[in-house]
Amino acid sequence: MKPIIKVEGISKKFRINPRERSSVRYETLRESLTKFVRLPFTRGQKNGKRDDTIWALKDVNFEVFPGEVMGIIGANGAGKSTLLKVLSRIIEPTSGRVEIYGRVASLLEVGTGFHPDLSGRENVYLNGAILGMKRREIDERFDEIVAFAEVERFIDEAVKHYSSGMYLRLAFAVAAHLDPEILIIDEVLAVGDANFQKKCLGKMDDVTSSGRTVLFVTHGLAMVTQLCRRAILFNGGRIIKMGPSSEVVAHYDLMCNTSTDEPA
Amino acid sequence: MSLTNDRVEETETIDQSVKGARADARHSRTPSFNLPDKPVVTIETRKAWVSLNLRDLWAYRELLYFLMWRDIKVRYKQTVLGAAWAVIQPLTTMIIFTYFFGKLARVPTDGVPYPVFCYTALLLWTFFSNAVTHAANSLIGNSNLITKVYFPRLIIPSAAVGAGLLDFAIASVLLVGLLVYYDFAVTWRYLMIFPLVFLTTLLALGVGIWFSALNIRYRDVRYALPFLIQVWFFVSPIIYPSSLVPEEFRWVLHLNPLTGLIEFFRAALFGRDLPWLALGYVAGLSVIVLAYASYAFRRMERSFAEYI
Repeated sequence: MKPIIKVEGISKKFRINPRERSSVRYETLRESLTKFVRLPFTRGQKNGKRDDTIWALKDVNFEVFPGEVMGIIGANGAGKSTLLKVLSRIIEPTSGRVEIYGRVASLLEVGTGFHPDLSGRENVYLNGAILGMKRREIDERFDEIVAFAEVERFIDEAVKHYSSGMYLRLAFAVAAHLDPEILIIDEVLAVGDANFQKKCLGKMDDVTSSGRTVLFVTHGLAMVTQLCRRAILFNGGRIIKMGPSSEVVAHYDLMCNTSTDEPA
Repeated sequence: MSLTNDRVEETETIDQSVKGARADARHSRTPSFNLPDKPVVTIETRKAWVSLNLRDLWAYRELLYFLMWRDIKVRYKQTVLGAAWAVIQPLTTMIIFTYFFGKLARVPTDGVPYPVFCYTALLLWTFFSNAVTHAANSLIGNSNLITKVYFPRLIIPSAAVGAGLLDFAIASVLLVGLLVYYDFAVTWRYLMIFPLVFLTTLLALGVGIWFSALNIRYRDVRYALPFLIQVWFFVSPIIYPSSLVPEEFRWVLHLNPLTGLIEFFRAALFGRDLPWLALGYVAGLSVIVLAYASYAFRRMERSFAEYI
């Protein structure tokens, strides 16, 4: 069976405090010049020579198959979010290659691009467009989105007057009505009160059972076993375990309990 | 999409044993998906030479429209006077200039009443300077989008420039009023405003795009740009005609593309010979600046999310 997402040897190197260093233009210019001169000689070298770089991802390989719901877990700073950002084309990998055979929508945050001064209605259109929906698609789903968010009465109010719950519900509702083949989600399910969370989970179940491919990062281990068939465990930018979600979650539990510094 | 899947028939339970069975089922499943042969998206480290990727820009044209619409909406939300501000800014400037430069300093205007003379230039200038300023700060102002969603980043500064066109349209109504008031004959040459605005937009896009990208790495832009705009104002023939400059130095003034734009606009409105050569220079320069700026932008684009 052909994978819908193929990740081959993805690595991502970050410089620590890149902004501080680059604010001195002279230095970066000099650096880039020396780097350019040294380029032919530095190819084979590993990091370690410089200690101001950090590998957020190191040689990550995996495949996701169509219709699969894949969970990604790991402690803070394990490289999960970096991976999602690479897959969402927000940051560029230092090396490696990803092939994606479908339309991707990524939700790294709910309500990206929401503007406080605009009304709920206006924000639905704006946010939908930012997430890659066509205007026609938003027209079609508008009523459904508003009903799902339960904000019918306030849809023409500026969202800055919304309660935080209303705001998040509307934001999630737009995202939940996206219709891509692949959905990349970062910890956005934890919005609203208990009732709305249940509704969100129900929506997630719909999404996952409709044959869509979903890749999602979460700290909610119960959610992983509930929604995902397979999961990947990250640590220090590397994959340390991949397989059936229950096994991976068990491995993570074990890892957390044995290590001295428990992740928050 | 016809994503049919054998998993759909399975009941969604949290039972672990079922989970395991499903995982096994995956391997035995017959491939019922119609995946494209070529990847829809390929992600890898970009080569040194980048293309403009116009196809991607075209695919996201609706977002350009929505961002322009947002910029316009937000600008006049919770203002009492609303879009009237688009007229107030150049109008007030014109009145002050008319008093000081027209009445007191008696700047020559080649026989044109000072208010019209000044307003024609201010109209183009206000659009240009606002477009460049807004575009240059647009990426920083939309950092939440840049770090969270993918789309061609060129859309952000382009939307900032495009949103200024509405203000321009509103402010140009006043110009028509002035022309009528001062008894200028309405001719077909007034239509030259359209190619002129087009060229001004190209130039503003070029300058704005370049500064917006630079602004991400070097926040110095925020301080340097207002100064640059101020200098640019004085080296453009806005409060004075270019004929005021001695003939042998006039070519220096014409290096500034805004000189050509303003002079051509005035010539069209006040019935003088149209300086086509100057306009040709402006057109060529605008295209070169825009091409270079887009290329530079695309090169810097890949690290935006890391530096912003």
